[in-house]
Amino acid sequence: MPDAASAGRQIRRGRVVTVIALLGLAALYVMALQFTPPERTMGLVQKLYYVHPPAAYAMQLAFLTTGFCSLLYLLLRDERFDLFAEASAEVGMVMGVIVVITGPIWGRPAWGVWWAWEPRLTFTVLELLVFGGYFALRGAIRDPAERAKFAAVLGLMALVLVPFNHLTVYYFASQHPEPVALRAGKPALPFEMLRTFLTGFGVFTVLYVGLAMQRYGIGARRAIQEATDA
Amino acid sequence: MPESGNYMIAGYLVVAVIVVGYVVNLWRRGNESR
Amino acid sequence: MSVVRIALLIAAKDLRIERRTRTALHTAILFATLVLLVVVFARDGGSVSLLTLAPSVLWITIALSSLVALNRAFTLEREHAAIEGILLAPVSRTALFLGKWLANLAFVGLVLLVAFPLWILFYGVAVSWALVSVLAVAGLAMIGITAVGTLFSAMAVRTRHAELILPVLVLPFLLPPIFFAAQATVRLLASRPLVELWGSFRFLLLYDVAFAVLAALLFPAVVDE
Repeated sequence: MPDAASAGRQIRRGRVVTVIALLGLAALYVMALQFTPPERTMGLVQKLYYVHPPAAYAMQLAFLTTGFCSLLYLLLRDERFDLFAEASAEVGMVMGVIVVITGPIWGRPAWGVWWAWEPRLTFTVLELLVFGGYFALRGAIRDPAERAKFAAVLGLMALVLVPFNHLTVYYFASQHPEPVALRAGKPALPFEMLRTFLTGFGVFTVLYVGLAMQRYGIGARRAIQEATDA
Repeated sequence: MPESGNYMIAGYLVVAVIVVGYVVNLWRRGNESR
Repeated sequence: MSVVRIALLIAAKDLRIERRTRTALHTAILFATLVLLVVVFARDGGSVSLLTLAPSVLWITIALSSLVALNRAFTLEREHAAIEGILLAPVSRTALFLGKWLANLAFVGLVLLVAFPLWILFYGVAVSWALVSVLAVAGLAMIGITAVGTLFSAMAVRTRHAELILPVLVLPFLLPPIFFAAQATVRLLASRPLVELWGSFRFLLLYDVAFAVLAALLFPAVVDE
């Protein structure tokens, strides 16, 4: 069980990392909007390429972390794994929301419709629903030990569901009219684009770490309060 | 495609609003009940 | 006693209680029938034919009826505080899971067996041997669905508003098998060559194995204090 001092330390450290990430995000915006050439066929909207896929990756990273922390919690019964699983899941939800909102904004000019059941967007929606259930479950249990245990069971089930969801959305999408391909410069991405793209992934990784650390500290503090109230 | 730029701006704004909104939310929650 | 024997005893006990009262089974069948009717009434008869909707309706009915059935399984335990008794007995938790799962599978299967002919009747599905294969696909899908559902209902029953939590937990896990099962149903009804079913079949089998094993492994963690 983490103590109040370490929870506070965790929050402060998380804030430092988050500030670095926000500076990185600002730099990414400047880099993407100012110093990266626009793509010729899709025009300016293609620049969402530097934030949309990184957010999708951060969501995946967050939910996978939740899954593995759930497994570790069930094996070791260390409360910190539960706290980190919860923190990671919440950040994953935020990243998922970014993905499902920027997706249609990109899709509208690219495909002509807001929603075309594009596989990765569909996958994001499925994951958000699973983790929506994860938070519904957490909210409906009072006893902290039971909440941690049940959440870990669901987290692990969600981890195993990931490959099944992947398979499903690809078969599912193959039945819908193929949207105008989004392969943004897949063959040989120009160097400037690649550089910005990779920066995006780096920035979102740091952002994920900072946000999850803060959320972990907040969760730890709440857990301490719950323990003293009980 | 001039309106393509509008979609781009909308997308970047959405990302900024959500990220900053969540950071503020965490900041508040991190400060409460010390 | 072997695990399988104990599991069978637990399942038999569950179904015996069910047979004595029968209210749950009757209610579930009534519910399934109502779902079948809801779609008939919620459609524009002039533009959408019932036959087009038939495969989707079958799977909507199966999904919703399973949820109702799963809710029943553990509320029954809670009301009679029966689970504490079983948990006190030196019974392996795996056997308990298998027993509950079998009972759920039997219950959902019975509901389906009644709803299936009604589905054929209401939606004008042509009677043919393909329907036997559709039932087989339904059975295959229900193995995995009830395995996930048995695990989640054991958790949901210990939460506030269990009736609301269960569908929210289970439905995201039902979407993949339902998609493939519905695919298979459409192809069977259109008497497509069997090769086209292989993908769906393999997916359902993989899903059954993966989630049955995982649910059986996780169940002890859920019921033990």
